[in-house]
Amino acid sequence: MSIEVRNITKRFGSFTALNNVSLEVRSGELVALLGPSGSGKTTLLRIIAGLEFADAGSGQVCFNGEDVTHRSAAARQVGFAFQHYALFRHMTVFENIAFGLRVRPRAERPAESEIRRRVAELLKLVQLEQFEQRFPSQLSGGQRQRVALARALAVEPKVLLLDEPFGALDAKVRKELRRWLRELHEKVPITTLFVTHDQDEALEVASRIVVMNEGRIEQIGAPDEVYDRPANPFVYNFLGNVNLFHGRIHEGLVHLGNTAFAVAGHDAAASVPAIAYVRPHEIKVLSRPNGVGSLPALIRYVNSAGPLVRLELERADDRGPFSVELTREEGRGLALQPGAQVYVELKNLRVFADDYSI
Amino acid sequence: MAGAISRLNRPTTARRPTHDPVWVRWTLTLTALAFLGLFLFVPLAAVFTEALRRGVGPYFEAFRNPDAIAAITLTLTVAVIAVPLNLVFGVAASWAIAKFNFLGKSVLITLIDLPFAVSPVISGLIYVLLFGAQGLVGPWLQDHDISIVFAVPGIVLATIFVTFPFVARELIPLMQAQGNDEEFAALTLGASGWQTFRRVTLPNIKWGLFYGVILCNARAMGEFGAVSVVSGHIRGQTNTMPLHVEILYNEYNFVAAFAVASLLSLLALVTLALKSIVEARSHSIQTVQP
Repeated sequence: MSIEVRNITKRFGSFTALNNVSLEVRSGELVALLGPSGSGKTTLLRIIAGLEFADAGSGQVCFNGEDVTHRSAAARQVGFAFQHYALFRHMTVFENIAFGLRVRPRAERPAESEIRRRVAELLKLVQLEQFEQRFPSQLSGGQRQRVALARALAVEPKVLLLDEPFGALDAKVRKELRRWLRELHEKVPITTLFVTHDQDEALEVASRIVVMNEGRIEQIGAPDEVYDRPANPFVYNFLGNVNLFHGRIHEGLVHLGNTAFAVAGHDAAASVPAIAYVRPHEIKVLSRPNGVGSLPALIRYVNSAGPLVRLELERADDRGPFSVELTREEGRGLALQPGAQVYVELKNLRVFADDYSI
Repeated sequence: MAGAISRLNRPTTARRPTHDPVWVRWTLTLTALAFLGLFLFVPLAAVFTEALRRGVGPYFEAFRNPDAIAAITLTLTVAVIAVPLNLVFGVAASWAIAKFNFLGKSVLITLIDLPFAVSPVISGLIYVLLFGAQGLVGPWLQDHDISIVFAVPGIVLATIFVTFPFVARELIPLMQAQGNDEEFAALTLGASGWQTFRRVTLPNIKWGLFYGVILCNARAMGEFGAVSVVSGHIRGQTNTMPLHVEILYNEYNFVAAFAVASLLSLLALVTLALKSIVEARSHSIQTVQP
């Protein structure tokens, strides 16, 4: 089932949590809502679930084109997993999962044998068959989250909404569960929307990412799209590491110190301050100038442990620091010593006029 | 595990930083015991010795008196009305306060505490001023032949007022600590409001609720001040057990006074026993289920 959000605004007192947000999620997609805390991503998720309501007259939430804006959470038939799981603490794992089936009106309620069969099936899906008689307090965080997902899936929701599903877990379990969630989505391909502040999680799990900031959507795109072609400085900063080079744009050229680089899309700009964004792995280190456009820099620090060689450098002109990642092979031919002078070529330079501050 | 290791590593003779010298510990313990003995155990023992001073016969004779029977019946009647009402009010108020945000919430929280802050005598007086012959609605009530003050309805009202905070005070912090997530989860799973309350909220608060009800009941049966003001002390009609004890005592009928008092004391002891069972029970639930 597809989800459509049109022009939703939500204010809490004087704080604007969502500012005229529109979003479309296609049927069967696995989409991440990514943003820093306070960006409005959880509020958006809760409005889609019906746990929160948008400001009066501000917009619509549609499921499969049908307006559900004023429908209650119970009537929307969404599966919702909470950050802190919200398992019913006085019920066993089995009863937690069976809850959604047991509260149905008598006419629609499945027979006890059918409930047992369904719960067993879900326990198998989340790999917790032997835990059905445990209480939530007797499970680990990862197990609890899997119970919460099974409980949400038990009512056969049209949409699965996950609020920071792995937020309260340690790093190793998070990684396992990410893979598990992707596999689960392949097995049970319902439209899934999950909230996260972890860019790696979004990049690894989602088929599309919605980057949010200060109640607005900054960019929507496939993981490689938002990573490689960020729409604005915020997305650049939020997704992955990035170096900032301060300079000026003038008639299609960006001047960084004494070096000019050609950039598309800024032909008209007449000498305005600008910031160039380059990812650490998009910088090439040379031992001598390439004659076309390379910046002189000093090596401050070298870390060659692990698969990549990480360098901390400093621009020779304005002493601005930046970092570079090289493969071991790329680093081999160069004399990488702290204090050595090198030249850097910026391969994938993106320039934004300097009206944005972090 | 960590505790076991650190205990093994520590020399047994070493002084722990939290351990005070022996004489300090003994002095404090003995002071506390002496205080408890003087102010709690001695009076309690006195109640029972005075009641049984002339033997078992006169002791039970005190309960055969029609006025005593009327007082016991009235006390039970008041408790049977006041406790369930405050159970419902308490749950409703704490549900509203813990689960929702609304205008005037802090005022409501303060109002719930009001009966604790006001002297019980004042609480009784409020009803006399409202419903008494010279009171605001007194004449209207008289015209319609309804008696509230110096009658059972007044006693019930005063008792409800005085015992109002017990259930709510017990539940509000508990419900606030538990948050809304489980209720929201039940909602997204299709449960109705009533199903959510009965299957999710109620099981989570049942021990706190029980505890509040026990305390509420103990106070409802033992309340003296507020009830004394509104009751009018009509023997056999508007005397509750505490008031009956007072009358008997003032008439130098010590055995009967202490006999009825011993019944109230027994109630207190039962309450304490129930309270500690409930506390142990709710504690074990909470430690198993964080």
